[in-house]
Amino acid sequence: MIQVTDLQKTYNGISVLNISNLSVSKGESFGLVGNNGAGKTTFFRLILDLIEPTTGEVLIENQPVVRNDEWKSITGSFLDEGFLIDFMTTEEYFSFVGKLYHKSEGDMTLFLESMKDFFNEEILGSKKLIRDFSKGNQKKIGIAAALIGDPKILILDEPFTALDPSSQIRLKRFLTDLQTRLNMTMLISSHDLNHVTEVCKRIVVLEKGKIVKDLNTNADTLKELESYFAV
Amino acid sequence: MLVVDLIKQEWRKSFRSQGFYKNLAVSIMLGFFTLYIAAILLVIGFSLTKVLEKADNVLTPLELFEGAMLYMMLFGLALRFVMQQLNTFDLPPYQVLPIKRSTLINFLLLKPLFSPANYFLLLTIIPFAIKGVATYYSGSVALRFVLSFILMVWFNSLTAAYLKRKFGSNLLSIVVLFAILTGVAALEYFKIFSLFSFSKMLYSFFIFRAFGLWFPLGLVIAAFFLNKWFFHQNYYPEKFNSKIRGNKTSTTELSFLKRFGVIGELISMEIKLILRHKRPKSTLMVSGFFVFYGLMFYTNDVYAKSNGMLFFVAMFMTGILMLMFGQWLISWDSRHFDSLMTRNIPIKTYMLANYYLMIAFNIICFAVTTPYFYFGMKIVYLHLSAFLFNVGVNIYLLMYLSTYNNKRIDLSKSSAMNYQGTTYKSFLIVFPIMFLPMLIVWTLSTFFSLAVALWTLSIIGLTGILLRKPLINACVNQFNRRKYKLAEGFRESA
Repeated sequence: MIQVTDLQKTYNGISVLNISNLSVSKGESFGLVGNNGAGKTTFFRLILDLIEPTTGEVLIENQPVVRNDEWKSITGSFLDEGFLIDFMTTEEYFSFVGKLYHKSEGDMTLFLESMKDFFNEEILGSKKLIRDFSKGNQKKIGIAAALIGDPKILILDEPFTALDPSSQIRLKRFLTDLQTRLNMTMLISSHDLNHVTEVCKRIVVLEKGKIVKDLNTNADTLKELESYFAV
Repeated sequence: MLVVDLIKQEWRKSFRSQGFYKNLAVSIMLGFFTLYIAAILLVIGFSLTKVLEKADNVLTPLELFEGAMLYMMLFGLALRFVMQQLNTFDLPPYQVLPIKRSTLINFLLLKPLFSPANYFLLLTIIPFAIKGVATYYSGSVALRFVLSFILMVWFNSLTAAYLKRKFGSNLLSIVVLFAILTGVAALEYFKIFSLFSFSKMLYSFFIFRAFGLWFPLGLVIAAFFLNKWFFHQNYYPEKFNSKIRGNKTSTTELSFLKRFGVIGELISMEIKLILRHKRPKSTLMVSGFFVFYGLMFYTNDVYAKSNGMLFFVAMFMTGILMLMFGQWLISWDSRHFDSLMTRNIPIKTYMLANYYLMIAFNIICFAVTTPYFYFGMKIVYLHLSAFLFNVGVNIYLLMYLSTYNNKRIDLSKSSAMNYQGTTYKSFLIVFPIMFLPMLIVWTLSTFFSLAVALWTLSIIGLTGILLRKPLINACVNQFNRRKYKLAEGFRESA
């Protein structure tokens, strides 16, 4: 599904990301952990073709992502508020994104219905602009919008931060459900080791731009990660 | 004094903002521009006495000036109402600190009075006071004249802030304001009520009577307390921002655009962007004013003979929206650029949406300026060829060159005197677009005829329209080359 070869990104001669080889197969749930500055967001931005790699390349379904529009139709992503169009109301934004993926109004009604639980009745029906929502609710809107268009690949950066406890639990349930029901490939970065080990079957630890651990999640993974990050 | 500390902090804020040093080229250009305006004002100041002496035999220059004072006040008030930025210093971080409310409010109110822009006109007033007032009367009268002017500036600044906070700068209040202005002018013209003689009387009183100046001072203080009273009523930001945060977003759907698929969706998004943000909205309003540009030039015999200048005006008016928005064609999307780049929007579709939006801008401007056809067939030809040139050439230049503007734009700031997102590149964009065709017209109409010049430009324009596909592709390729630079620049908050 996603193939990364010799990917390197340097700023002013300082390497911020250096991954020689990594592949994520279809249906895999891939968790990315690491301290601030480890290169998690840089990695996601490289996959989404928002920054240019210094060397190497990323392939999605065997096609390089660089200057290509093909991968956009099968990828849903939410990294930060820049992924929202914040001067629209939620309804306008969802219908806008829906149009981009050629969804009918019926499709969108069904979709919003399925999100009802996750939104907790706070998001829809209030002619509020997205920029006037709280950070947590903006995150929910962004995650929901990433799922419009039935993506085969979902990329989320820190989806759990800024969410309230109930929403965190709902989101976890929701992501697990997407994996089992639709076999969706997921790339999720998180600072919360608990959540990420629960949701992801594979955990990769980045440090200073390099992969230092690549684990299949089992009962001991959380302990291993906790001891790795302990200071 | 605490107010002084707060003013210092504001200064620091502007000097420490990242844009200040990065944009040195722009700062220097603006500096030259300021000097240029200052020089003009000084020249006016020194020559005003002579002009006014010739204008009327009975009244002295000072008396004429006094008569104009209330007009200046009203006009200044109107201008400030449109242009003056409210002191949008962030209250919340200070509200939680142990600073007295009244101190904060005093600061908010008094800070604009320290802005040097207020005193720019003194460059005209002081030379006039020396040459035109002191020589006729005495030095002390000249001083009181200058003081009365400063008091007017303070009064205007405070009153405009109050009106703006109270009524907001929506289109309706601007219309009302201009209705009042034209009403006053009409009363004067039809000799029903002369604001001129009233103003003359009033200011003679202010300047010549012993305690005259106390009255304008009283008005300034009254305006100050009016503002204070307003803040007393509406201290919490949520209260006086209610107009901005109001949930009454009109969600009128531009349903006719739906037929055009993804391109239509993108265009309706851009239209929402323009209507829901302060900066593009005020850009729109400024463009509206520029449409009247032609009245100055087409009616003036001096310009009637200069074909290059006329073409410049025609092109400026028929393309004003495109020129105003096109410079930052991509920067307008800077806040949600990542969103557009990762969604299912092929780059070509994105560029086509921008293209059609600008075509629509041009058609609107062309239609709006058709009343100028009243000035003769020459204007019709000028506008037509200007339109063709804008649509056939300038549109691609803007699309191509706007990829070099990779500064983030904060859409919620007013556009008047707002140079955010302006780099030296913005000036470079304007030069080929505006002055090259002007040069062509000037040359061809001098050596051949105006018809040859206009036909040449029209044919170039038509060729551009016919070569739409390859030219748009070139812009798409350019965009792809610049994409990462743009994404990176837009992520940096200025």
